Amino acid sequence: MKLSLSSLGGEGRGEEANRPRLAILLLTLTACAGLQVVPLPPEAQSLRARTDDGWEISLTRYLPVGASKGPPLVLCHGIAANERNMDLDDQHSMARWFASQGRETWTMSLRGTGRSDGIDAKAGRAGPISFDDYWKHDLPAVIDFVKRTSGAPEIDYAGHSMGGMVLYAYLSQGGQGIHAAATLGSPTRLDWGTGLEVLAKAIGPKIVTKEWQIPLAFGSAIAAPFQNVVEDGPFQRFFYNPQSTDPEAWRRLMVYGTADVAGGTALQLISLMDTGQFRSGDGTIDLRADMAKIKTPVIVVAGRLDRIAAVPAVKDGYRALGGPKEWLLITRANGAQGEYGHMDLVIGDRAPTEVWMKILGFLIGAASRE
Amino acid sequence: MISVALALVLAASSGDVRVSHRKVTTEDGAALALHRYLPPGDGLLAPPVLLIADLGFGRGLFDGLARYLAGEGRAVYLAELRGQGASDAGHSLRTVIALDLPAVARTIAAERAGPIDVVAHGYLGSLVLSAAGHELQVRKVVALNTPVLLEEPTTLMESFLSEGGRFSALASSPEGFAEFDQLFTMGVRGDRRTVAAAASRARDLSRPVAAELLAWLHLGDLPLDDGTTVLARLRAYDRPTLLLLGLADAWAPSESCAPLREFSAAKVEVRMFTRVVEGDDFAHASLLIGARAPQFVFPEIVRFLK
Repeated sequence: MKLSLSSLGGEGRGEEANRPRLAILLLTLTACAGLQVVPLPPEAQSLRARTDDGWEISLTRYLPVGASKGPPLVLCHGIAANERNMDLDDQHSMARWFASQGRETWTMSLRGTGRSDGIDAKAGRAGPISFDDYWKHDLPAVIDFVKRTSGAPEIDYAGHSMGGMVLYAYLSQGGQGIHAAATLGSPTRLDWGTGLEVLAKAIGPKIVTKEWQIPLAFGSAIAAPFQNVVEDGPFQRFFYNPQSTDPEAWRRLMVYGTADVAGGTALQLISLMDTGQFRSGDGTIDLRADMAKIKTPVIVVAGRLDRIAAVPAVKDGYRALGGPKEWLLITRANGAQGEYGHMDLVIGDRAPTEVWMKILGFLIGAASRE
Repeated sequence: MISVALALVLAASSGDVRVSHRKVTTEDGAALALHRYLPPGDGLLAPPVLLIADLGFGRGLFDGLARYLAGEGRAVYLAELRGQGASDAGHSLRTVIALDLPAVARTIAAERAGPIDVVAHGYLGSLVLSAAGHELQVRKVVALNTPVLLEEPTTLMESFLSEGGRFSALASSPEGFAEFDQLFTMGVRGDRRTVAAAASRARDLSRPVAAELLAWLHLGDLPLDDGTTVLARLRAYDRPTLLLLGLADAWAPSESCAPLREFSAAKVEVRMFTRVVEGDDFAHASLLIGARAPQFVFPEIVRFLK
């Protein structure tokens, strides 16, 4: 049986039969733990864009508060995540914060995540899904849809983790329509000799197939109620720093902000660990080398204690960029109140003032330099 | 001609490891401390290992590793260059390559001929790498967060160096200790008394050295007395190297060290430690004095130098 979480926003559409039972099971578990799925705010508009290869991508639109002050901003999540990363609840919402600053803001779920289409052979979406699908098909469709809907000639973009890698790949291959961008915790090298890397390289290719959807959404939701039972547990070590993120916010993210990982995507990222090279899945395109061609202004953000996208891995991408760029390291040594891990950049309690405000300043600056 | 005074100051034994302390005199007359750790045997089967800590630090940081390596059968020399530990004061980073390292190298060569292995740490470690193949005849190098492409200093680092790099100020108050922790140990998972001892044993940088380091950070390169620069030398650097990176190093950050593998001509093996697996993100000092260093860091060094 394949595990699915789509009714909670955790997994792409498909596998209809299993949804009700799993949803009931998860709702029971999370309710027992006092965890609730916080609904999107009433002003959020749900829309769908269609890619050139026939997949529907889920988008949520937040109109600006007051007069519009710049291009619409698209926010894209990372691996094993969905658009709810960008609007978790009232207190942890990158989308609503940027909208409050006068930016029309959009969140998106890459294919196979959130409410976007998942693999469904009967509907003509046989898969497998790979990282290349995101930058070749999903992002172009989103850019086109947002431009047409908002009437803006270009968009701004902020991508977290793999969402930033999607941007790098898209722009490196001549992608158009992005005025200025931010990446947060987005690596371009994953070969750092860490213990986890050794494990992933040894085991990953043996158990993961391109066709498999790794059921992280279900596992994450199951594990959520047991977070905080153990201080300094594995999730805390890996994903966030309680100095910067309320553990309750993290638990909510585990319930409805996570998604299954496409096997093809996982294998492509594991190959980065093996080769140290950021390439297309077939190996023919050196995406990192082509990043030198990028002319779009990009601010690159890193968190000192990011254990998924370590600072040197993020800095590698910054160094590869060819156009106007800015480096922003979030750390107490630069004035932050706490150190930042991987998820703190998007759901951190003080991220609005310590991270997003600086991104907004860069985007505004990019416009004023023209 | 450099006169190297080999005054045996003190000899002591620690378990089976024999420790002795010497004074080395450089060509311009500065006195440097050289601590020798000999294994139970004579340690002649492998090249001796030279340990050099980063600016401000000295034997206090490296004593544990020195004993560990000696316990593994290696003859170890722990050098304190100008401005470190028991050595004379230092007034320029340039003397490290031109005067201090040659004096240390000659002293070791007088006892044991042939190339040496080196464990180098931080910014001083970068100068040691620059000297490899020139002033130092080196077989292998273990580099502990040794910067290559330097980063603009963080606000805290800029402030510390602008005020002259006074470790004594950090060790004298809770606020100062918090700054020391932020820069060098990042909430080290271990005995905080060890950290406090490291803070108290660190020596103030001289104002000229602090200013020189700050300029190096801002400009990205350090000119040397022979007309070369650190970057030019590092580009030609070709010794087999194990680059150990602590994720939490806020003093010589990993992002400034990692480019060694593509920037230089050396074959560089990278190993990064994080709390996910090793239980500690390892900052600049805790790579050597953290509670988990003997469990995770030291064995990597032994493995590579075999």
